[in-house]
Amino acid sequence: MIEKLLLKLRARDDVSAEEEALLRGAVSEVRNVATDVTVVRADVDLFVSTILLDGLMCRYKDLGSGERQVTELHVPGDFVDLHSFPLKRLDHNVMSLVPCRIALVPHDRILAITETQPHLTRLLWFMTTLDAAIHREWQLSLGRRSSLSRIAHLLCELHARLEVVGMTQGNSYQLPLTQVDLAECLGLTPIHVNRTLRELRMRRLVTFRNKTVSIEDAAGLKRVAEFNPDYLYFEKRPR
Amino acid sequence: MGVTPLMAQYFFDVINSFGLVEDLEGQELRDISAARLVAIEAVRSIIRDDVTVGLVDLVGRVEVRDADRQLLVAIPFSDAVELRGADAVRAAP
Repeated sequence: MIEKLLLKLRARDDVSAEEEALLRGAVSEVRNVATDVTVVRADVDLFVSTILLDGLMCRYKDLGSGERQVTELHVPGDFVDLHSFPLKRLDHNVMSLVPCRIALVPHDRILAITETQPHLTRLLWFMTTLDAAIHREWQLSLGRRSSLSRIAHLLCELHARLEVVGMTQGNSYQLPLTQVDLAECLGLTPIHVNRTLRELRMRRLVTFRNKTVSIEDAAGLKRVAEFNPDYLYFEKRPR
Repeated sequence: MGVTPLMAQYFFDVINSFGLVEDLEGQELRDISAARLVAIEAVRSIIRDDVTVGLVDLVGRVEVRDADRQLLVAIPFSDAVELRGADAVRAAP
């Protein structure tokens, strides 16, 4: 059930059989969630954290005008609000973008892990710091990358993150997002996203059609994006 | 976005020097005036991009179409911005 979480962790460090059993045992409940459901709400006290098993979710914040910024996309294997364990409440929402399957982990079980399992605790800590690294890269994109480079970067990032959990087929992957979803990630309008995707397609770098991303020229796409996967910390080493 | 009975599907094709960018996906919106706003915002976003490389190209339009791909309204890029000083700049020696 939490296989993708284990793949994500084992790409970065060893996870012992005992640690794996503890993670599996930490799950209290599995739920299905429909599209566009706010699964974790800002400003309420939280007592569980959520692992995304299948689907796509996002962290987002809205302005009073209704303008929405997605601050991170979550792929299967992500612990989407592990930071709610120390924070106790969040300053942002977490929403499903497609039908999702989630696993709930009560905070008291995470507390028990932190009190008895120093290495597993560091692995949990690693995951929240990895989210922070992804946020920094998105800041760079939103603040400084051109529209073309920004979209290219997101498509490179998702390929890298999905590959590690076994969800890519060579240079392509399923991305069941709408132009509106992408626009909210990229700080652009949906029509602008459509136009920029066309430019990437015309340059024969990548196509996004029928919810499938096909990277035609990986080196060229990475060049346009200035994509360097170092911020995803894929190296396997003791943490 | 979820579909509610009040919403309708609108498609936004962009035609300018870049060519035709056809909208295959559309957006669920309340009415044509909401669709018009979406088109205007998109044009501003495109112009903002162009300006960063030193270009303001107002030759273009957004065609708003309904679910049957019938043209509802065409919004020229020039409707999205108010230009000031362009004549003065042209008249200057």
